[in-house]
Amino acid sequence: MTVDSDLRQAKQPVSGALAGPYGHPFHPILVTVPIGAWVCSLVFDIASKIVDRPGFLTHGSAWLIAIGVLGALAAASVGFLDLFAIPTGTPAFRTALLHMTLNLTVTAAYAAGFFWRQGDGYAGGQSVGNGQLTLSAVALATLGVSGYLGGKLAYRYGVRVAAESVQAEGYRSTRTTP
Amino acid sequence: MDIAALVAWIVTALGGFFLLVRWISGGGLRQQQTRTTGFPAPLVFGHFLLAAAGLVVWIVYLAADEDALAWTSFGVLVAVALLGFTMLARWIPVYRAAPATTEAMTPAERHLPVPVVGAHGLLAATTLVLVLLAAIGVGS
Repeated sequence: MTVDSDLRQAKQPVSGALAGPYGHPFHPILVTVPIGAWVCSLVFDIASKIVDRPGFLTHGSAWLIAIGVLGALAAASVGFLDLFAIPTGTPAFRTALLHMTLNLTVTAAYAAGFFWRQGDGYAGGQSVGNGQLTLSAVALATLGVSGYLGGKLAYRYGVRVAAESVQAEGYRSTRTTP
Repeated sequence: MDIAALVAWIVTALGGFFLLVRWISGGGLRQQQTRTTGFPAPLVFGHFLLAAAGLVVWIVYLAADEDALAWTSFGVLVAVALLGFTMLARWIPVYRAAPATTEAMTPAERHLPVPVVGAHGLLAATTLVLVLLAAIGVGS
């Protein structure tokens, strides 16, 4: 397989119906849910250390973690399909594997954090425990690293990105030169 | 019963992963355009995604203990099984036929080993039965 054909293969969806059609993948829209939920969860955690009656923030933070985990699983499912489009043995494939591994680890850490918080309960109206907050902070930092790799896959290696000849359609001007 | 179903599901999934990797490295994706493979990509990946989603629902059922989740898992598994049987029906004649002249003309599913296909199917059927038994309340 030549570099050129490998590059072109990584742009194609393995299944347009399931992973999104050519030039319009589903994975990027789905990752917004866990990223948004988990960022907000950390904001709630920190705020619970500041406000007077933090019970609602502690409970809400656990909800956000759970929403993030379910969203992450959905994003991962479609991400898997995009992984299968990348030819093996290439730097792009190795980057994708690392991206996947980090994300699965982060998701597992958040799931563990959720059950940890469930164990404490929310009836006491307490703020989030320091250990639990630290776990979330480390997980979010790791998510930042894996997210950086995701951006590299899209914007540097062009995985699931339409070919430049197709991109040119967006800039075909109908202006007549004066 | 719940845990037995979970274990059976996970082992079935591992076998399924092996079959998927074999099919892809056998050219399953490259053969989509020419229809050399009898497995259309949505069939393969739909089966995989539904089974994965069902497993997540089952795990949530183990945590939440809501009957509706068990029945949802069963319903999803029925759909997964239908897709699986479709692939089995297309695999059998390929397995029986003599291999084609060139690598590129050999359907990718010919690379799926019989013992793994058989084990995957048996374990999948076991999972289906265990999930049903758990849903109707046997052993709880």
